[in-house]
Amino acid sequence: MILIRHLLLVAVLFGASTAAAQGSSLARSDRAATVSSVPAEVLVVLAKEEPGKVDPQLKKLTALRRPPFNSFRSMAILSRPKLTLTPGKDALVSLPNGRRVKLTLLRIMPDGRYKVKAAINRPNKSDYLPLLQVVASAGDPFFVAGQTYQGGTLVVGVIVDPKKTAQ
Amino acid sequence: MESAKTQDEKLQMLFDGELAPDEEAALRRSLEGSPEGSAQLREWEQLRAAMKNASADWAGQIDSDALFARIEADLSAPVIPIDRPAPQPELREVPGSRERRVWGAAAIGFAAAAAIFLAVIAAPEGAAPGGSPGVTRGSEVLEVDFGANTGTIFEVEGGAGESLAVIWIDDEEVGLP
Repeated sequence: MILIRHLLLVAVLFGASTAAAQGSSLARSDRAATVSSVPAEVLVVLAKEEPGKVDPQLKKLTALRRPPFNSFRSMAILSRPKLTLTPGKDALVSLPNGRRVKLTLLRIMPDGRYKVKAAINRPNKSDYLPLLQVVASAGDPFFVAGQTYQGGTLVVGVIVDPKKTAQ
Repeated sequence: MESAKTQDEKLQMLFDGELAPDEEAALRRSLEGSPEGSAQLREWEQLRAAMKNASADWAGQIDSDALFARIEADLSAPVIPIDRPAPQPELREVPGSRERRVWGAAAIGFAAAAAIFLAVIAAPEGAAPGGSPGVTRGSEVLEVDFGANTGTIFEVEGGAGESLAVIWIDDEEVGLP
């Protein structure tokens, strides 16, 4: 009977220790991921309702052909800056309208997605977009649109870790 | 005249001594003139004498006291109920059963450990960033503050069917910082 108890205890401890080790390894990888930097790309697109050309580089983004973007008949890439997002550090991207997009990588989620904070501020004025928190998987963009510019609408797309995109 | 059956019955009663004295005397006087009746009586008397002799010989050969003592002993013996259950067989330990219990418990313990291990292994991978099998695709808004503006959040489908977040701000200023 004592032997039975010992064997059971050893077996359960083995399983628990293995699970703990696995869990700690996940925690370690999570912490490691939060301190690593990831590349990002920002697409600044001027979209207009008048018929025109659509930049060929945008043809891969099928989302820009669907609502609410499907009313735009022409799209031109104004800029496409590449940057590195480091957790806790702000990355600034200038917009043609004088505003700036501030991007901050908050953390890498356990499922591998990126939690990003974005804001659009105006010099000497209150923030245009004070706060936006998004979680995005690698290579999948999120868009901030609506700013009027030169008869069109600015569409700002942010892609974290774009090399892993499946598009 | 009496029937033969009646005469035979009276003769039997005479032999058994069951007739009244006057009837017995009358019947005996009648038997003096009946050779058949007298012969019947003599035959019965011979049979009775033979049976007495035989029973006397048999009785002399047995021990009546021992016989009665045995009968009394049998009568005073405890009564055994007919439906008394059969006694339980004596239990005995099967060789090796203890060993089987030990190994069975150990197997259960290791199975539990293996189940815990596999449950953790089967959990979604945490380290691999996007693109790994099973990782949720797309983008979604967790929190937004439009400030002084108004806005709308859309979901647009990407090329792979993933849901992409669109934050649309209602711009009140026209091209001015």
